[in-house]
Amino acid sequence: MSSPESNVQQPPYEPKIIGFLCNWCSYAGADLAGTSRLSYPPNIRIVRVQCSGRVSPELVLKAFHEGADGVIVLGCHIGDCHYIDGNHRTSKRIPMLRQLLAYAGIEPDRLRLEWVSAAEGERFATIVKEFTETVRELGPIKRVMVTG
Amino acid sequence: MEYRNVPTICTYCGTGCGLLLEVLDGQVVGTYPDYAHPVSEGHLCIKGWNAGAFVHHPDRLTKPLFRKGNDFVEVSWDEALERVAGELKRIRDQYGPDAIGLFGSAKATNEANYLMQKLARAVIGTNNIDHCARLCHAPSVAGLAMTFGSGAMTNSIPELENSRCILVTGSNTTEGHPIIGARIMRAKERGATLIVVDPRDIQLARFADFHLRQRPGTDVAWINGMIHVILREGLENKEFIATRTENFDALWEVVKEYPPERVEQITGIPADQLAAAARAYARAESAAIVYAMGITQHTTGTDNVVSLANLAMVTGQIGRPSTGVNPLRGQNNVQGACDVGALPNVYPGYQSVTDEKVRQKFLEAWGAAPPARAGFTVTEMVDLAGVGAIRALYIMGENPLLSDPNIHHAREALERIEFLVVQDIFLSETAQFAHVVLPAASFAETSGTFTATDRRVQLVRQAIPPIGESREDWQIICEIARRLGTPAGPYGKFDYAGTAEIMDEIAALTPIYGGISHRRLEELGFLQWPCRTPDDPGTPILHTEQFTRGLGRFQPVHYRDPAELTDKEYPFILTTGRVMFHWHTGTMTRRSPKLHKEVPEGYVEINPLDAERLQIGKSERIRLVSRRGAVETKAWITRRVAPGVVFMPFHFAEAAANVLTNAALDPVAKIPEYKVCAVRIEKITEVERPEKLVAARAGAS
Amino acid sequence: MLEALRKKIQEIMPQVDGVIALRRVGKGTAPHLFLPGDDLSELALSPQFPLPTPVRIIQAKYPDKRFAVVVRGCDERQLVEMAKRRQIFLDKLTMIGVACTKEQAEYCRCEMPFPKQVDIGETVEGIPQTFLDDFLAKPREERLAFWKHAFAKCIKCYGCRNICPECFCKECVLEDNLWVTSGTVPPPFPMFHLIRAMHTVGKCVACGECERTCPADIPLTILYKLLKRDVETVFHYYAGADPNEPPLMDSTIFLADMDMLHPPRR
Ligand code: SF4
Ligand code: SF4
Ligand code: FES
Repeated sequence: MSSPESNVQQPPYEPKIIGFLCNWCSYAGADLAGTSRLSYPPNIRIVRVQCSGRVSPELVLKAFHEGADGVIVLGCHIGDCHYIDGNHRTSKRIPMLRQLLAYAGIEPDRLRLEWVSAAEGERFATIVKEFTETVRELGPIKRVMVTG
Repeated sequence: MEYRNVPTICTYCGTGCGLLLEVLDGQVVGTYPDYAHPVSEGHLCIKGWNAGAFVHHPDRLTKPLFRKGNDFVEVSWDEALERVAGELKRIRDQYGPDAIGLFGSAKATNEANYLMQKLARAVIGTNNIDHCARLCHAPSVAGLAMTFGSGAMTNSIPELENSRCILVTGSNTTEGHPIIGARIMRAKERGATLIVVDPRDIQLARFADFHLRQRPGTDVAWINGMIHVILREGLENKEFIATRTENFDALWEVVKEYPPERVEQITGIPADQLAAAARAYARAESAAIVYAMGITQHTTGTDNVVSLANLAMVTGQIGRPSTGVNPLRGQNNVQGACDVGALPNVYPGYQSVTDEKVRQKFLEAWGAAPPARAGFTVTEMVDLAGVGAIRALYIMGENPLLSDPNIHHAREALERIEFLVVQDIFLSETAQFAHVVLPAASFAETSGTFTATDRRVQLVRQAIPPIGESREDWQIICEIARRLGTPAGPYGKFDYAGTAEIMDEIAALTPIYGGISHRRLEELGFLQWPCRTPDDPGTPILHTEQFTRGLGRFQPVHYRDPAELTDKEYPFILTTGRVMFHWHTGTMTRRSPKLHKEVPEGYVEINPLDAERLQIGKSERIRLVSRRGAVETKAWITRRVAPGVVFMPFHFAEAAANVLTNAALDPVAKIPEYKVCAVRIEKITEVERPEKLVAARAGAS
Repeated sequence: MLEALRKKIQEIMPQVDGVIALRRVGKGTAPHLFLPGDDLSELALSPQFPLPTPVRIIQAKYPDKRFAVVVRGCDERQLVEMAKRRQIFLDKLTMIGVACTKEQAEYCRCEMPFPKQVDIGETVEGIPQTFLDDFLAKPREERLAFWKHAFAKCIKCYGCRNICPECFCKECVLEDNLWVTSGTVPPPFPMFHLIRAMHTVGKCVACGECERTCPADIPLTILYKLLKRDVETVFHYYAGADPNEPPLMDSTIFLADMDMLHPPRR
């Protein structure tokens, strides 16, 4: 671990983003973005999950804890979930987690939830671009996580 | 169908928290905190919350065992007791009473320990009775007796939170005594100045106003340095020194040689910080010193304690609420075991065995008493067993094989001994060497009292009947005593209707416990000794009007190097200690699933700088070598330890820190130097680990 | 009140196999199962001690017996949430409702110091939760510093989890080295505490027992109560209100409105 001061000498900040993408819609959407040669920032590392409902709060918090500057959760549109109501859970869990982050003093905008279907390659690229910029503005998570 | 909660006292540390054992149909199914308890106030640490978890463990001993070759066979109680009594009698007759040694237990009740020492003294006729207090706080008892006249914690735990300044040293309080640690944090939140003197970056250090990281083993130097600053700047309490103490003149003679700059060279503590901390301590309205085994487990243990006492006296930070010198006793009842005389040099209530008047008193009371000469200590008894001078040992609830500073040596001694009886709840490493193993009841299955570190005597209540055929400690001792033949004095009998009756006997013979009875405890919740008469409310703060010995005595001491210094071959200082989640030799905690899960195996903490230099990776298995032995364990790379220092918890049999530690003893208190020894770190190379090579090859093919 | 409770229990006792209530032990109180014919002289009402966990433990062993239990508002709501998750069985349970006194409500900072059906005591008003807004008035950095300081005091006793009636999982993620590094005190920020906070969502009835048993004086209920308030205002889910409603996470309530997903935050 390095102290906050030593960050000064480090290379310029590039946000690290973890994306949890559901297998059935959003991952296919990302795929489409790839095959359609849409450009989106390389900052996102994608973790494929069976359903956005699989993304437990532990997973998100762990990602932050291990140094992710932002976490984005993408799932099927409501009504399209492969497991019928998996994303109903997501739609309750992730907003609540955003609230909790805010209460705990961590910028909630480091966490984002969106619905992306298999056909929405472009939408995927746009969301990732936007989110990367948001997280870039927020700065490194280290500032938040490093304990005194 | 029966469901109830039984209030009792935690069996782990000396804090003495109150807890409720949740009992459903004779099974302990859970633990709750006791919200009405004066010390814990509804709080518990993880050990307390899991205090009932080992009670029904399948490994519990439920029948007496005889050793047959390398195995044990179950026998009846009658057979076992006959054999124990028979052998003890034979050895006493053949070699004399001093060929027998007894270990009381800091885990057992006051009542059981009292009977154990009575068995040794009145029935067998020897003062060879001791327990593991030797291994933790003998220097406190010796050092504080010399200076104040009483070896116990001077103040009470609840007072700490009102202290204006707390100096914590040699105690990782939030892990060793968590609920006291929480109180210290509370004091800090209320605006107290917190001074932590500890080589490791412990949790309390994060909240400290001053964190002074001394080189292990240099405590006398920094304490003398603080006194130096205080005297040089005229911050001493002149009135207190003049009216309450003696031998002050000798103090300056010694401490004048410890200006902070020199202390910095010895200890590594920056001179200005030491001075600032000394000022904060001296100027505070009330300042308390809290320490534990980091102070005592040294060859200079007694010197360290005495120096702390000097510091408290020079500033008058003693004898008032929220001040004092406060040793935190490790075990739940180490204080009590000492109080009721499970020590080789004193009868119950610290009445010296060499004082002929005292001997007469017990001779009359019991009808028999050993000669007026001190017996041997646990460490000595193990040594003597090795050379055949001690022929029989009767060990109640202790595990000297793992806790002795030099394990190899202890193992040899126990292998050699003619007759070894171990009375315990599990087949401990020591019990495996026993000729006879007696199954004892755990704290949940017995009644009596524990005395917490702040001299607080509290009731232990039986929640369930003993597991299997196990029996309560006090009953087993009585059976053995009766078979050996009990003396004829008015208090000579070993025949009690219950533990309340034993406490009445203790009260009759032990002035500091004179006013304590189970009935009063039931009514009042607790009593703090000295409590001399049935209407004495007890004593939360010692030395208020005058010291126990009259005037407090300054005992200036010079700094001496630890017995073992680092050199080229052994460049690291190894220090040992406790982690929050385990207890001592781990016999109970490692059988409590939730505790075991937290820290399933031993490890050694290494500073990242050292790890990098030696190219040791995260969790890599390494070997630690001292002049006495070697252990393999896992590296934990953390800045909690300073460079050049490594730390190892002592709870794990397979990575036993005490294979490495130094058995060199403190000359006064005879405590071994657990806290400092020199080691080197070796990488375990691939060649030495065939299994890994095989695995690698298998992977490659 | 105690006398009235004693009468009520005597009245109910013939219809049940036992009554789970508080009993005076030592200097305080503890849960106890009173059986028909038992002496009720040691029956107690306060200081409070949560009773839902004993109900779970006793019902698990005696699923066919019928018990009565003395409940405060929070006890009742907890039992309802537990019943939704099959931890206790309401059809075998008779509740004797006790309304808390004003002092008790103030001590607990309780919003709803009474159960649905009050058998004993006079209902008093809930305490307004203004301290939550006071907390939210702090700027974000201050909130972060506040929790970092508070959580650094944690001694990982697990008391907050152990005392919580809604924490009944056999395998707890807090004990899993994967999520919360084992054997380190304090647990690394923010894993232990924020995970636990998330796991209270939709279950927590804000009884405050976690905070009461916390040796480190960490004001845990600020977090939990803030989340509870959101669950109520955003999802209209009131923990413990209706045993026939599914648990929040299982329910078909969802947020389709994307604005709700990204409420503006400082
Ligand atoms: S602090 Fe000590 S006495 Fe209290 S619960 Fe923990 S181990 Fe038991
Ligand atoms: S009760 Fe407090 S100290 Fe114990 S684990 Fe919970 S937050 Fe930490
Ligand atoms: S499968 Fe895509 S959200 Fe459930």
